[in-house]
This record gives sequence, structure tokens and C-alpha cells, in this order.
Amino acid sequence: MAESEQSNPVSTHPSRWKRIGSRFSILFASKTAMIGLFIVLFWVLAAIFAPLLTPYSPTEQDYKARNSPPSAAHILGTDDLGRDLWARLIYGARVVLVMLPINDHLWLPIGTAIWGVLLGLIVGATLGLMSGYMRGWKDEVVMRGLDAMMAFPVILLYMIIIAAVGSSATNVVLAIAIVGVPGIARLVRSLALDIRTRDYIRAAELRGENPWYIMFVEILPNARGPIIIDAMLRVGYAIFAMGTLGFLGLGLPPPSADWGSMVAVGRRFILAGSPWAAIWPSLAIASLVVGLNLLADGLREETMRYQ
Amino acid sequence: MTNVQRDQAPILKVENVAISYETRYGDVEAVRRVSFEVGHATTFGLVGESGCGKSTVAFGIVDFLGPNGKITGGSIKFQGRELVGRTENELRRLRGDQIAMVYQDPMQALNPSLTISDQLNEVLTVHRNISEAEAWKKSVAMLERVYMPDCSNVMSRYPHQISGGQQQRVVIAMALLTNPALLIMDEPTTALDVTVEAVVLDLIEDLKRDFDTAIVYITHDLGVVARVCNEVGVMYAGEMVESGPVEAIFADPKHPYTQGLMRCVPKLGSTKESSRLYPIRGRVPAPKDRPKGACIFAPRCDYVTDRCHNELPVMEEASSEHRVRCFHHKEIDVAAWKPSEDLVFDLPAVEEKESQEPILEVKDLRTYYTQESKSVWSLVGLGQKRYVKAVDGVSLEVPAGKTLGIVGESGCGKSTLAKTIVGLEASTAGKAEFLGFDITVPVSARDIKLIQELQMVFQNPDSTMNPSYSIGQQIGRPLQRFKTVPANQVREEVIRLLHAVRLDESYYDRLPRQLSGGEKQRVGIARAFASRPELVLCDEPVSALDVSVQAAVLNLLLEIQHEFHTTLLFIAHDLSVVRFFSDYVAVMYLGHVVEFGPAEAIYAPPYHPYTEALLSAVPIPDPTAEQKHIRLEGSVPSALKPPSGCVFHTRCPRRTLLADGGLICETEVPPWRYNTEQHRIYCHIPLEVSRQMEPVVTAG
Amino acid sequence: MIVKDYMTKHPVMIDPAMSIVEAQSIMAETKTRHLPVVGEGKRLVGLITHETLRIPPNILTSLDVWEITRFLSNLTVKDVMVKCKDIITIGPDITIEEAARIMVEHKIGCLPVLNEEIVVGIITDTDLMAHLVEMLAAPEPSVRVTMRMSLATGELARLVAAISAQGWGIWALGGIYSPKDPNSWEAVFKISDAPREQVIAALSKIEGQKIIDVREVAG
Repeated sequence: MAESEQSNPVSTHPSRWKRIGSRFSILFASKTAMIGLFIVLFWVLAAIFAPLLTPYSPTEQDYKARNSPPSAAHILGTDDLGRDLWARLIYGARVVLVMLPINDHLWLPIGTAIWGVLLGLIVGATLGLMSGYMRGWKDEVVMRGLDAMMAFPVILLYMIIIAAVGSSATNVVLAIAIVGVPGIARLVRSLALDIRTRDYIRAAELRGENPWYIMFVEILPNARGPIIIDAMLRVGYAIFAMGTLGFLGLGLPPPSADWGSMVAVGRRFILAGSPWAAIWPSLAIASLVVGLNLLADGLREETMRYQ
Repeated sequence: MTNVQRDQAPILKVENVAISYETRYGDVEAVRRVSFEVGHATTFGLVGESGCGKSTVAFGIVDFLGPNGKITGGSIKFQGRELVGRTENELRRLRGDQIAMVYQDPMQALNPSLTISDQLNEVLTVHRNISEAEAWKKSVAMLERVYMPDCSNVMSRYPHQISGGQQQRVVIAMALLTNPALLIMDEPTTALDVTVEAVVLDLIEDLKRDFDTAIVYITHDLGVVARVCNEVGVMYAGEMVESGPVEAIFADPKHPYTQGLMRCVPKLGSTKESSRLYPIRGRVPAPKDRPKGACIFAPRCDYVTDRCHNELPVMEEASSEHRVRCFHHKEIDVAAWKPSEDLVFDLPAVEEKESQEPILEVKDLRTYYTQESKSVWSLVGLGQKRYVKAVDGVSLEVPAGKTLGIVGESGCGKSTLAKTIVGLEASTAGKAEFLGFDITVPVSARDIKLIQELQMVFQNPDSTMNPSYSIGQQIGRPLQRFKTVPANQVREEVIRLLHAVRLDESYYDRLPRQLSGGEKQRVGIARAFASRPELVLCDEPVSALDVSVQAAVLNLLLEIQHEFHTTLLFIAHDLSVVRFFSDYVAVMYLGHVVEFGPAEAIYAPPYHPYTEALLSAVPIPDPTAEQKHIRLEGSVPSALKPPSGCVFHTRCPRRTLLADGGLICETEVPPWRYNTEQHRIYCHIPLEVSRQMEPVVTAG
Repeated sequence: MIVKDYMTKHPVMIDPAMSIVEAQSIMAETKTRHLPVVGEGKRLVGLITHETLRIPPNILTSLDVWEITRFLSNLTVKDVMVKCKDIITIGPDITIEEAARIMVEHKIGCLPVLNEEIVVGIITDTDLMAHLVEMLAAPEPSVRVTMRMSLATGELARLVAAISAQGWGIWALGGIYSPKDPNSWEAVFKISDAPREQVIAALSKIEGQKIIDVREVAG
């Protein structure tokens, strides 16, 4: 098909703000994405400003008000040890979204779930690029290995890993990463398979660039769209995973306020008449996952709309 | 042909039609003020470059505008009945079996999961309520009408089992089954090879005579228009700028745009000078930038005056039936046109350096692809290996600083040859030497100094640039990699390269998606030439571009080659494109070079029969030119099992010139016959006989 | 001269549900006087001509002004068309003369051409008249001669021989029984290679044949 000589006139040096702004304009154009963003930002900000949002600490125990329903003193009620649920909720968000506790004295910024996904991305993307670009036996070996991993039910895989290395925050990160690698690798491989047919990859090969350069500098940036959207969904899965692990008792050690553990602990009291300790963290998990999904969906919709 | 003037109303009457599309940024007017008429048995050609709105008009007639397109003004009358403003159901009844459409890509019209007979029968049984058996008979009869070889066999096949040319014939057969009064053809031959296109065009002309259908033929190729159309409408940026009978438009184009187009179209001229291309300066305005109250072509016109910027020109009559939308058409004298300063440059003089060592020498190069066998034995390694013989013994020499044009149709192996020379494919056998270095190894095994000297310009402007990086970064990368200039001078050098390809500094920070096709190709050229290579391989660099942009890019390549003293290897599928600036031409067929020589020698007799057929198939943009009518039968054999002896023997129209009807062609590989020291033909026919052939094209 | 080569191949066709007002406007727009009415798949179901669009007076007299308007606007083509069984049609392979004969005999102005019930074209009296003009047309100014001769065999051959002996060519040769004399035959032809006097001089010499009319024509 012949190309016409029409170009979009743009000023010679668009300011950095303008460029960032135009990237975000896609976001703002979609209602779905905005709702999702709102929910996610709500939790992120709640997690960051946690100390300001509640007078209680997540470990502070009030024996007089155990398993109490929502009241003026405790907005969301308390759990079986008298800890304020709202405080535990937003401090729990911290662990999930904002900070990674390596041990009692050291923590890294960016939450557990996100670290897990990032680590999975790094390993998975590398494997996927290698497999999709280099093809040949490397492709076969990697893919069959990942196939084998995917054959395991996810919960089982988590249990095996945590049982092997013990339960701590870093190990949860490791588990999330390991479980996420096959899916990410597959996605990146399919993107790489498509992108490697383009002429600019041939041009790079013709410059004698080494394969790693081509994979990470030429191919990867063009695959970022689907990868980012997938990554957002995976944060959702990771939170589920942390929840499940916590539920099974394999998650972060107590008294960690991560939502999964909260549900696991609070579950026992549902039938006894105080479901609050289980409901709020479940809703929190659900809302965050829904928010992330909406954000990803909205972005996907907008980028595909005027294709 | 009647002498008596019978006033028959036109079958299609389009008056002042305007079509708009809804976009995120508001309504965009794609077409406006278009009027034309198509009478009985007339073929009306809608000509223009991409973005001019010709397909939009066609889709507007058949109401295929899509959910966001609408006709915002004017009227379209089919056999007296107004089509604009009707509901879908009414339109369906009105159109019914009276209007048919043929698309560019036959696979769009054919359902890949139904057999040909199912699809043909469906047309008849749905529209006509006739029985299956009747429908089958009629379908086979129609396939015979379109000269389909082996009709009953084809009926039971699926679309992917027949060739592109045959698919297009099936689509045309489908369109004609209901005997429509109006047939709309949207670039039906653009996706086909030149020789196949020639056959399909012959078919269309044939059918015109028998069916008396009015045809609206949409194309960007002026050669096809000259061959097929009776009347022409030239469109530019959504408006019709000129219309009239085909002879008048070609002999005496009145609108400056039409005149400019005629100058950009590659011609099979007899000398290099007469086949020069002059591009139109500037570029087509985007739909939202089109002025409402001024002449749409004013920014690019050589004859522009103030009036053109302030007033909207209307269609005026230049002579009976020849109308043009220009204020100054009476004053413009085409013959007096002179190219502006920046378009003129001297073609490099032919330097007679006979003793020059060729910079690239290829001897009997072979590139075979292994085809995976499906048998069980092959798993164990015992299966018989089958090869796709993409390049099967190619030999050529390219002197330094010259341009070699490699021409051939799809499947001839020219792309594989290019990739093998450049190192993207591994060769299987043979020798190839570049600058004294052996280049039979793939690029990963070559020295970086060698890689630097051998670069490539790619075909598809959309995929030639990495969308995530700016232009400046991408042109700068080879400079950094090959350390052509010190690190702190890279930006300057990039800007110099941008100027060399006629782009200004502001392009440094732009992203590829902000550039047009032609601009992207120029950046691709800048990138290829960045490291000052000795040899640049251009793989059909202009096939995906509009005609006027092609001319500009080709001229640019010439200039840059001249400035940097580079050798160019130019691959094309069309002999007219390489005419302009190749010093040498090689014609390829099924992995072999069948003719090689200086450019003038190729276009004049003696010819290899395949070259002759190629030359007679190219549509010439001159309705009065005489062109021989040689058509190849059958289709290109598969490269898995190439024919024995001379690979062209299965289709050669000149076999009869030899004894026994050319038996020797089947059994023995042909020798190289040297017409002159540099011109050789790969054929059994002796030179004395070949020399007596007449030239294929004689200008009218 | 077979009908299929001379008919109009894509006539304007309408469907029965159309209103006659619209049919009239189509006739005006396309400048045709006959519209075949077709159903599914171009099958002929009826025919409209400009005469059938006139309402019979006996219907009109019984209605008043407002009713007339409503009556007219509600009329569809189906109500007024000549029904299929009453239409005379021909196939595409018959000769022009046969078609003309049918038209004269039945006093009709047009003949739909059908191939197995499907309309493939239409031929009208105007078409036939145009072809009559073409049959007797010459490409350049010529001398038009009418020669009368007896009905004996060989008369025409002698005429042609005489003309060829002069080295002239013959255009537009036609023949007809003499209207004035049933025992004679008249040949009409045009000669473009010679001036009038020469032609008269040469043709008067033919025995037994008489020049009835000589004139110069433009073509």
C-alpha cells in the first residue's frame, strides 16, 4: 500500500512535560482507566500516609474491645486480639504495595506484591526474549521447562517453594516471581516473535549488534505496552497469592498485617458472629484487584480504539 | 460503435459529493466537490495517490464507509435513482445484483474456508433462486470466460490452493455472475506481479466488450489507466482536479498536478535522459489542514498566484468533456516547463575506466532453504532432503561507484540474493567477494570493518525504523557503533546526514510515527549511508511509496550516491523504475540471472524471452504508445522442483524459434551468449536470431 | 445483426413496489420511455411505458380533486404495469429484422430481451431506427444512388461488377422491392470515390438498369 506524504506537524522540541502529558492523556481519555486509577491511588496513598490516617498502630492490642463491630472508636471494628481493623488494613496495604520488610530493621521501598511482579518480569522477559529472538534449541529448552512449571497447580507450586525456603517477605517475593515467570515469558516470547520480523531488527543485525543488545534495546521497548498491562494484572494475582499464602499460613510471619493473614485469622470468627475481621480485608483485596483490572482494561481499550 | 448520437443517460452520476469521517478530534472531510458520470460500457478511471479519497468515493457509492463515515453532501444517482439518504435495506434492494465490487486483495473477497464452487454458486443461488446444478453450470461457464485454466478442477479447490492471479480471476468472475450494470474495481491488479497483471488487464478489456458493464476503475498507476480506461478523473487531496477522455488527459494535461504526475511516472524511455523523473515539491496536506476557500494544490504549484490562495477554483471546461479545476489552465504551457534549481543535477558522466576491478563479484552463488520433510524417516535423519532453491547459481560483477539494478517478479530470488550478499542469510555454495573479502559467511561471522562497508535500505517504511527511539538516535547509532566520528561530533554528523536527505534539523527529535512514508524512507537512507559504506543495497525502497514521492526518493538516492561515491545495488520488480538510474541491469527468474548488461542494452533487442515478456507487460502511461503483446502462460514453477535445463522453458514464448520446438531447452542448461563484452543472455537461441527481434516499445 | 449485439444491455429496471411518481421521475432522469419491472434476480414481472402511466379516464371521473391526488400518490407500479403474460418478449439470438417485424405487427415500441425469464437487455423502436441509419451510413461524403433492376438473378452482380470495374468502393448497400413496381427491385448504395457526374455517367451505361435517384449526401 502506498504511503502518503502526510505528517503530523509537531514543534521541534516538545517540552518534557508535554511529552509526559501526552502519554497520560490516553489514561485520562478512558473512564474505565480513571476509575481503576482512582481505586489504586486510594490504596497507595492510604498506605503511604498510614500513620496520619489512624491514631492506632497495627499491633496495638486492646483487650477490652475484642472482635467488636464498627464503632466510633474503631471505624471498622477490631479483630480477635483487639487490634483496630482500619489500622491493620492500611498498614497491610503498606506491606503489599509500598514497602518490603526484609527483616525487622530493614525495609525496601515498593511493596511485596510489586517486587514479586518486577522480579518475575525481569527473569521472565529475559527468558522470553531469548526464546523468541534466538529460537533454535534455546527456545525449545526454555519453553519446555516453562511448560513443565505451568503444569503444576499454582497453589501447589507456592506451597512447595515456601515450604522449601521458609516463610518470610523475601521468600514470598521469590515465590510470586517464580510462579509468574512462565506466563510472562510466554507473553514476551510471542511479542518477540512478532517484532523480530521487522526491518529495523534486520538493520540492527546488519550493524553487527550482539543479540543481547538487539533483545533489550531494540525489541523490548516496543513490547512494553502489552507487558505493562500484563504486569498490572499480575500485581492483582500477586495480592491474591499473598492472600492465599497468608490464608494457608505460609505467608509473611505474624504479626504481619498483610491482608491474607488477616483473612486467615479472622475466618474463625465469622460464624461466631463477628465477620468484620474477615470481611474488610477480603473487600480490600477485591477492590484493589478490580481497580488494577479496570486500569489495565481501560488502557488497553484506549490504545486499541483508533487503530 | 454508433455514429448516431443517442442520448443515453449515464449509469452512475455522482454530483458534488462530500464524505466525512468522525474521528477523536472531530469530523474530518475526506472528499469534497467530486462530480463525474459513467455511461454505458465506459470505463472511468479514478486516479490519484494515497490519501486522495478515490477509494473513499468508491466506498461511498456502495455504502461501505464503515461506522464512522458518512456522506455529508451531494448526490449519487445509480440509473436515475438517488442512493444518498436511503436506509440500508433500501440500498440493498436497489443495489442488489446491479453493482459489484472487486477489491485489491483477492483474499479479502474470498472466504478461505469455502471452496471456489461454493462461493460462486452462492452468488447465484442467493440472488437468483436457481438450482444448485444450474448454478454450477453457470459458474463453470463464467470461469471459462475469465480464462481460468482447468475450470472444473479449480471449482473444487480452496482459495489458498490457487495462485494470486487466479484468485483475482475468481473474484472478477464472482462479480460478473449477476451481470451487474456497474462494476467498481479498487486497484485489482496492484498486488499482482507485472506479468500476471498484464493478463488480468487483458481479461478486463475483453470482458468490457462482452458485458457492456460500466466500470469505475480506481488506481494510482497511470500506466494501467492508459491501458484500460476510456475516461479519467484525477483526484488530489479529496477533490477532483481534472477529468476528461483518456487521450486528452495524457496528451494535454491541463492541471499542474496532472502535469506534475506525468513527469514523475517512470517511463520506458529509450535513453536515460528521456526517462528522468521530476518530483512534485511539497507534500499532500492532511485532511484537517485542507483550506476551505482556496485552491487545494496552491502550496505545491509552480504557477500559483494570489488568486489561488484566496479563491476556490471551480471546474471549467478546457475543451468539450475535458474539465479542469484551475484558474490559469489557459495560460499554462506544458512544453515550456523547466525544472526548478534544486531538481536539476547532472547525471554523473560515464567514466570509461575499463580496467576497474569490480567491487562486488559473485560466482555461481547458491542459497538453498532446507524444507522440512514431513515423513517419519526424516525424524531419524534418513529422510530425503528437499531444498527450496531460492538462488541457484547467480554470477555477476559490479564495478565500483555504479548502480546495478536487479529486476524480477516474486519468487525469482532477488530478495534472497540481497540477503545473502549482505549476510542475513547463509549461502549454501558458490563464491562471493566484496572488496577482496569473502562474504559467503553470514553477518555474525564477519569482521566489523566489513559490515560497515555493506549496508541496506529496506522496503517497508513503516517497519524500517524502531518506533521507540527518535530519528536522531537511530541515525546516530551506526555512527557510534562504527566509530565513524568521535563521540562529541555525532550530533553534528547526524544533522549533516539529515540535510543530505533533505530533512531539516527539527527531525532530530521526532519519533517515526510522526513522519510520513517518504520521510521515513529518507531517514532509512540516511541511516544506511551514515557509516559511509562502499556498497548500499536497496531492497525495493520505493515500492511502498506514492508515485510523486518515489521520484523524490529515487533522485535523492542518485544524488547521495554521487556525493558519497557509493556503489548501489537496487532491487525492483518493475523494469521501468530501474531504467532511470541503473548503469547495469540484471534480470532474474527462479533463482537464475537470465540477462545481464548495461541498461541501454537490456531495453533494446536482443532480449532474453523473459525480459521481452516483462517489458511487454509493463503498463505504459501513454495510450498512444505501441507495445508488443507477449503474455506468459502458466505460472512460476515452484522453487522446490525447478524445471530441468533452462528454468524458463515451461513458459517461454520463443521456444518455437529453435529446432524441434525447443527440445534442447528442456534437456540442456543454456549457455551464456555474449552480445557485447558486457551484455550477456542466458539462452539457447542464437544471437543472430535474437538480434532480429523488434523492440518491445515504440513511442506513439 | 443479432439482437444481443444491438440491444441496450443494462436497462434501467424497477421493482413492483415502487410508486409511480418515483417511476416517472426515473423515466425523466434517465430519459427512457420504457421500464421493465423485475422481481428477484432480474426476473421480468411487468413493463411500464409512458402510456401505461396515464390513468384511464373512467376511473378519474368518479373521484374528486383530493381523492385523485391521494389515489395517484398511493399507486404503485404493480397496479398499473402491463403484466408479464401480456408482454411480448424476445430472446437475444433472434435477428434485428425479426425483432422489428414483431414490433410492427404488435404495434409496440419496445421489446424486453429475456434469457430464461431473466432480463438481459431491452431493444426499442428508437434503437432500431438508429441502426437503420447506421446500416445506410457511409464514413465520408458520398453519392447516393438508387438503381432499379429486374428480379432476375445476376442483376446485382452486374451492378457491382460495373462499379468495381471503375475501381470504386461501395458503401451501405441495401435493397428493397420497388414500391412503385412489384416486378422490380431497387438497390440503394453510396459511392464515395467519385463525383456525381462520373457516377451517373458510369451507371447509366448498365443495361436493363435505371437510375431512379442520385444525390450527394454527407455520409
